[in-house]
Amino acid sequence: MVIENPLPPFLEWIGPAALDWVIVAALVALIAGAGAYLVVALRYGPVTGFGIARRTLVDAAIDVVGISPRRIWALGLLGVKESISRRILWVFAIFVVALAFAGWFIDRTSTEPARLYLDGVLSRTSFLVLVLMLILSAFSLPADLKSKTLHTVVTKPVRMSELVLGRALGFVLVGTGLLAVMSAISYVFVIRGVAHTHELAAENLRKPEVGLASQAAGLVGYTESTNLFPHRHRVYVDPQGTVNVEPEYGHTHPAEAVQGAKGVTYVLGNQEGMLQARVPIYGKLRFRDTAGLDTDKGINVGDEWMYRSYIQGGTRAAAIWTFEKVREADFPDGIPVEMNIGVFRTHKGNIEKGVTGGLAVRNPKTGLWVEVEIFESKEFTPKRLEIPRKIPNRRNAQMIQRKATVDNVTELSPPEVDERLARKEGDFDLFEDLVADGKLEIWLRCVDPGQYFGAGMPDLYLRADDASFTLNFFKGYLGIWLQMALVVGFGVMFSTFLSGPVAALATVGTLLGGYFREFVSQLAQHKVYGGGPFEAFYRLVTQENLITELEPGLQTEVTRMADTVAEFLLRAVASILPPFGDFSYAANVSNGFNVLADPYILVPVVRAIGYLLPVLLAGYFFLKTREVAR
Amino acid sequence: MNQQTVFIRKIAYAVAILALLLVLYFLGFPSIKDPKNPTQILPGGVLARFKGSEADAALLSEIQLGEIDPASETIRLVSLGMRGFAAQILWQQANEYKMKKDWTNLSATLQQLAKVEPHFVNVWRFQAWNLSYNVSAEFDDYRERYRWVIKGIRFLMNGMQFNKREPMLVWDTGWYIAQKIGRADEKKQFRVLFRQDPDLTESETGGQRDNWLAGKHWFRRAEEMVDQGADLKRVTPVLFYSHAPMCQMNHADNLEADGVFGKDAKEAYKEASREWWEYGNRAIPTHDPYVTLRLNDAEPFQEEAAEIVKKLEAMEPGLREKIREERKNNLSKAERDALAVPMEKRTDRQHELAFKAEQQLRVTHEQLARRLPEKFRSEAVTLAKKADDLEARAANIMRHREIVNFNYWRRHAKVEQSDDALAARAALYEADQAMSKRADLVKAQSKFEEGFALWRKVLDANPGLVEDTSYGRDMMEVIQNYRRLLDSRDAKFPEPFILDDVVKLHKGSISE
Repeated sequence: MVIENPLPPFLEWIGPAALDWVIVAALVALIAGAGAYLVVALRYGPVTGFGIARRTLVDAAIDVVGISPRRIWALGLLGVKESISRRILWVFAIFVVALAFAGWFIDRTSTEPARLYLDGVLSRTSFLVLVLMLILSAFSLPADLKSKTLHTVVTKPVRMSELVLGRALGFVLVGTGLLAVMSAISYVFVIRGVAHTHELAAENLRKPEVGLASQAAGLVGYTESTNLFPHRHRVYVDPQGTVNVEPEYGHTHPAEAVQGAKGVTYVLGNQEGMLQARVPIYGKLRFRDTAGLDTDKGINVGDEWMYRSYIQGGTRAAAIWTFEKVREADFPDGIPVEMNIGVFRTHKGNIEKGVTGGLAVRNPKTGLWVEVEIFESKEFTPKRLEIPRKIPNRRNAQMIQRKATVDNVTELSPPEVDERLARKEGDFDLFEDLVADGKLEIWLRCVDPGQYFGAGMPDLYLRADDASFTLNFFKGYLGIWLQMALVVGFGVMFSTFLSGPVAALATVGTLLGGYFREFVSQLAQHKVYGGGPFEAFYRLVTQENLITELEPGLQTEVTRMADTVAEFLLRAVASILPPFGDFSYAANVSNGFNVLADPYILVPVVRAIGYLLPVLLAGYFFLKTREVAR
Repeated sequence: MNQQTVFIRKIAYAVAILALLLVLYFLGFPSIKDPKNPTQILPGGVLARFKGSEADAALLSEIQLGEIDPASETIRLVSLGMRGFAAQILWQQANEYKMKKDWTNLSATLQQLAKVEPHFVNVWRFQAWNLSYNVSAEFDDYRERYRWVIKGIRFLMNGMQFNKREPMLVWDTGWYIAQKIGRADEKKQFRVLFRQDPDLTESETGGQRDNWLAGKHWFRRAEEMVDQGADLKRVTPVLFYSHAPMCQMNHADNLEADGVFGKDAKEAYKEASREWWEYGNRAIPTHDPYVTLRLNDAEPFQEEAAEIVKKLEAMEPGLREKIREERKNNLSKAERDALAVPMEKRTDRQHELAFKAEQQLRVTHEQLARRLPEKFRSEAVTLAKKADDLEARAANIMRHREIVNFNYWRRHAKVEQSDDALAARAALYEADQAMSKRADLVKAQSKFEEGFALWRKVLDANPGLVEDTSYGRDMMEVIQNYRRLLDSRDAKFPEPFILDDVVKLHKGSISE
């Protein structure tokens, strides 16, 4: 799975993030407070204004301290009833119709159907729920204000803070209910969608003409194709009658040979392996160049996307992952490793064979390096290898000191090595000889000269375990739930001081801005072709392309000055917009990776709280201000 | 309005509805299997019968034919008139996925893109190329590469469903099946995979399992569409029509490359020869919308022109030379001197002068006719114009022939179907196999020598073949292998060598 911006562990993240949050929140509070005071001072004079502001703050403190969960719950239930009366069940109808005809829109030629199914259900649910919540939250308060229904509520002993929180809670409850039902329907849809089996006729099996010598005694053949994502599996039946179905499209099938009156018939079961939740342990990646020096990056082979760095075959170059907390208790029999590496050839080589690579392990403390396996590459498909507990001594062990240049001084790690370790008699023990203080290095190298392997950090990981796919699937909906809660928060906040349509537009703007925060940020930093918003508009009108320099002159100067101001504003906006995309777990779920609690759940949950707190507080103040103004 | 009037009106509506339904039934009743005899297909209503002819069907829209793709229509409908915008976003997304090597999403996005803009032919053509040529090349495993080549081909075929009058999608399909599978670096593996691919249907391959023949099937379909009036747009017709017969030619060549000789190869070359002749006989449009030509016509035109010129020159024998001599006397000294120097020894200035002089010395048929005595002149001028016209037509055909190397392939098919050529190729193939696969150097040497002897007979039977550069280069590669074999056996290269003339003429065509 591609992870372009990996999240740090929660404990590493929380400190700097909390500090950032406090600074930004204080700044925003200061600016908002100053602005509010200015408005009140202009309206009632500076002294009266100060009094009003002080009273508002004191009231706010009392309001916050005196919040009653019971009243919030009651208001929340009111919000639920109101939502139901607004016929939100229509969304279910749309959802069911969308699922019923989903098959039309799925790429039937895909080699990863499960991924498409999962992406499809998660994106459809997310879209429908977010749009519904946006409308509900943005239009609710303004409608109540307009119809004076709110007046009935405020005559009861409820605080403004409870009103805002109650509204938000009500909509979140509605969204939670919707998501719960939708996720259950989606789960059944996905499970049924990818379920399939194949026919295998005995006459399709024959003695192998060419192939592995180990299969020479058995029968080989292909299953029939399926109508769903047409594909076949190669099958090998050994002399004992055991049927082995080779993986295709990321799955296989259990199979058995049944002896009947008319001979042998083969029965294949439902797919296995399409729906997974791998539990990966990622390491830190460094590279070794052809001279044997440590570097941050490998070679760029001309890829526009520089996610993967490449190492040259037949040289000292290697990609080195360092794993921490590798414990014997977790891997008593050895460590399963999965990798998904890129291959780049500078010459054709043997077309019918993959490029040869080697996987080795090294003890970062002693420098003992042992090759574990020589393998043939297979691109864009996860390859599973096993680092055994007892690594056979093939006389290929050596002591390697890693060299890194720091401030023009070459440092060796470890500074000295004991060559006797490499000359050990007998097998190497993974945990005794190669893991030091829970640390282990895995080295990937390309053996064939002139060919290259490419890797990014997540391309090789220890496959610690497999979690429950069902649970992981529902974790995917937790991501949507967080997004939904944020949308509700912003919708309610905007609705406290804007009319319904404008509040909805503002929420849409926040949502889109949050999804494209990266782009907005790049735009603000002048990293996008075509310049800032004003320059881009100028180019659009004058039909200039994105690359050519603008003619120097007044127009260009004015445009660029306007962009400087716009870019400052964009930078400010981009830094406070919630990154909605980061709350989605769709990539993890659809690629078959477990959504780990740390950091994938903890960080987004805390982040969402970090956004919701000030947003709801702002909503409270806006509503309060309305009351003050009235 | 009383009760009776309402009732009568209701009856009238019911009758009108029934009448309309009947009309609809006769128009739209689908073509189905006969329930009494399932092997028989009932022709169906007017539209279904109309659909029977593909050309006629092409004149109707999908809505009229009831062939709407629901997914495509739904996407177009829900885009609320923002189809262009949606296509733009999808195109950008596809580029992003391609850059990030996310093939699953790239493929899915292209399917959606095609559904948004199903009648934009360039979307199908560009993205099919992307899949078959660019994306397939990203994979290291040749089987995966093949899978993506086929994916691109199927993408084109899908495009045909929406663009039934677009010959270029059909032509592209032929090109991918023939050229991508048959000419890629991994053509040997691709051709085997294509031959054994259990998922290819008869309609996709035209019932052929050799990629060249399957490609030919699609090229022929594209030709039929053009012949029925489809627009070729900016494609050069002489090239467009050459691909189907070239497929047959390549099929025959590849049979030999796969080690198939004898009757099968002979028949394949015979068929190639016949199809090349048919291609030469086809009326091919030129850039001039009023002019078509037939590539086979060059020789008859040249012969007819030669006859006329002969007749013209017979009216006063020696007149052409006489005029030429007169003009020669009018040349400057420098021009005369330049003409006297052999061409290969001329300087740049002398080349220039000689060229100018030749232009002046050239006596056209009309100039000749106008110098003839009065009694012949009128007839002679007519004959001269006719000869000029025939020669111009022949020259035009020859120019078009050069575009497709017409003469070479015509001779190739003829030469290769001879028994001696087939036997020579078989012997040389066996020599190659003995040398590279079995390291049987003794057999390899004997097979090489047998092949060279047979090739000598082929050269002797086909005057002018020895000068042919393509044949020369091919044979030089074989001779080079033979030379390596002799080196490895510490044997001397034979002097004289049976193909010395080939070596002398073409030794510079390959690197040592």
